[in-house]
Amino acid sequence: MNKVLITGSEAAALGAKLAKIEVLGYYPITPAFPAMERLSKYIEDGELNCKFIRVESDHSALASVLGGSLAGARSYTVTNSQGLLLMTEVVYHAAGLRQPIVMGVANRALSAPHSRFPEHGDAVSQGATGWIQLFSENNQDVLDNTIQAFRVAEELRTPVMVNYEGYLQSHTLEEVFVPDQGKVDAFLPLKRMPALDVTNPRGVNTVAGPDVYTDYKYIQNAAMEQALELIPKVAADYNREFGANSCGLIEGYMMDDAEHAIVAMGSIVGTARLLVDELRKQGKKIGLVKVKTWRPFPAQAVNQILKNVKYVTVLDKNIVFGVGGALATDIKANLYGQGSMVINGAILGLGGGKCGVKEIKEAVDHTESSENKNRSEWIGL
Amino acid sequence: MTIDFKNLPKQELFGQGNVGCKGCGAAIAGRQAMKVLGERTIITIPASCMATLGGNNTKTTWKTPFYHTLFECAPAISSGVRAALEIQGIKDVNVVSWGGDAGSADIGFQSLTGAAERQEHIIHVLYDNEMYMNTGGQTGSQTPLYAITSNGALGKKVHKKNMLAIMEAHGIDYVASANIAYPEDLMNKFKKAASKKGFSYIHILAPCHRGWGIKPEETIEVARKAVECGMWELFEVDEGKRTRTYEPSFIPVADYLKAQGRFKNLTAEQTAELQKSVNKYYGKGE
Ligand SMILES: Cc1ncc(C[n+]2csc(CCOP(=O)(O)OP(=O)(O)O)c2C)c(N)n1
Repeated sequence: MNKVLITGSEAAALGAKLAKIEVLGYYPITPAFPAMERLSKYIEDGELNCKFIRVESDHSALASVLGGSLAGARSYTVTNSQGLLLMTEVVYHAAGLRQPIVMGVANRALSAPHSRFPEHGDAVSQGATGWIQLFSENNQDVLDNTIQAFRVAEELRTPVMVNYEGYLQSHTLEEVFVPDQGKVDAFLPLKRMPALDVTNPRGVNTVAGPDVYTDYKYIQNAAMEQALELIPKVAADYNREFGANSCGLIEGYMMDDAEHAIVAMGSIVGTARLLVDELRKQGKKIGLVKVKTWRPFPAQAVNQILKNVKYVTVLDKNIVFGVGGALATDIKANLYGQGSMVINGAILGLGGGKCGVKEIKEAVDHTESSENKNRSEWIGL
Repeated sequence: MTIDFKNLPKQELFGQGNVGCKGCGAAIAGRQAMKVLGERTIITIPASCMATLGGNNTKTTWKTPFYHTLFECAPAISSGVRAALEIQGIKDVNVVSWGGDAGSADIGFQSLTGAAERQEHIIHVLYDNEMYMNTGGQTGSQTPLYAITSNGALGKKVHKKNMLAIMEAHGIDYVASANIAYPEDLMNKFKKAASKKGFSYIHILAPCHRGWGIKPEETIEVARKAVECGMWELFEVDEGKRTRTYEPSFIPVADYLKAQGRFKNLTAEQTAELQKSVNKYYGKGE
């Protein structure tokens, strides 16, 4: 294992390279494109034996990767924001076809108005698609999550998105430990399961009548529930094999005696750690819950870790219009009837907006002020 | 490179027990093509009649792998299939995307032009019934001038988009028009396409009796008239070399058009105009 200084884009590309992807379909979009450029360079330099399909749209990017997967190849793509929205039809379809595709998503705000900057709106828009969604706090997570994603996807026949934020992660250098190729090979044995195979001809996506459609969806959802058991196991295996410190579904920080919990996903988790450290020094019993796995939603794990707190502040870098932040909505739904804590959602950092220690502190204070109970606060307007 | 038309394989890879309408031109095209393409073929079909008639629940019509894709992206899917086969060292498989006119020329055009420009090693078939039949027979870019459709009772006011010319402009290995009433010609074209290492495009005129306002048993007859009157030219462009593969007998275009309900409102002037453009195309004066 060696240590390198790389961007999140490079970490995503390196993860895919270590996983020895065989089909890469890709259409350029900012800020996902550096990951693809790095991968196409690996291919051109002969470091990765992979077919790169230079498609004419994001829709075709995921379609080509899906074709590759159906014909038995380990397949990967990377996108974000408008590209992900254009793909959405294929996103649902790939999950229904149970194809173990892994997709990096360099999260970016959605138009309109036009924005090139980070937030989770794109990932959240895909929350009902049937893809597993992992979030990354830092570039180490991007690499670790990408490798683990292939293992999870292939064991469950369910596609996985690995989210990392545009610029904040995609373009920011951090130290990353890189696992050895030989060990990754052992961690990710290639078991081909082509659905399109001339030696075993089958029809794929035949018309399903009302008598069977619900059953298909039930089975698809059951795989998502299995993922709640598999993801922590895969993370534990990964940590054992590579001496890493990767979290499974969620991770608590200073949660043992916490009365107030901040819950967050993505890069803001790292910022929230700073605030927790600062407030702990002042004697405040505050902790942090990092949500790595957002889909499937780790309801039990979240409920367990939050069961003794008085206050929950959920940080959402996304807005579901007319509802609130997606993570806060999930947490409230899952804690319903479980306790009497105050759960406030904070909407912040949209389209690259401020979401530093100061803004998180503001959100925490809002939650504890008596007149604000179980609401969504907009921070940094 | 021609097929032995008198000794075609007996095996039916497509067509036994499909749920298409009787007299379905698209199904006839599928059956003919599969006689040449053979068992080592992977078919991807975007949303269309052909996709739905290919498989229902656990029953399938194809004896080869087939995949009912989303509407816009069959050529992109096929590109991925080819990539996966190449990476596994599987070389002798035909990868075919098989789209309707909407799935190829309209909503599917973006992925088609993309795959053609990349010279992907695939065959794309446009089976052309000149309207959107799976959704009830609406007008699309391949609907011909003056044809009545379910959402165009007054007849189409603009020309059919010339997909063969557009595909030829991509500089791909092989472009051909075909027609289900000329199976030998059609099969020879599939044979050639299957021998290419780059992109091939075969555009098959395949009438739909419901959309065209003809009787089911007239499918082949009307398809033949399209060729014989000169409105559907049979040709190929093989690595840039253009050849007409069949010389029509030039029956009057009225014989073709009057046979179809969708042209029932055609005026004498409109018929004359269409005749004139055929004459001009074949250099027969005005
Ligand atoms: C994205 C999307 N839009 C619309 C449809 C509805 N749709 C399904 S098939 C079809 C028409 C297909 O027409 P064509 O390609 O000409 O094939 P045909 O059915 O005529 O054989 C349409 C509009 C769809 N399935 N997907």
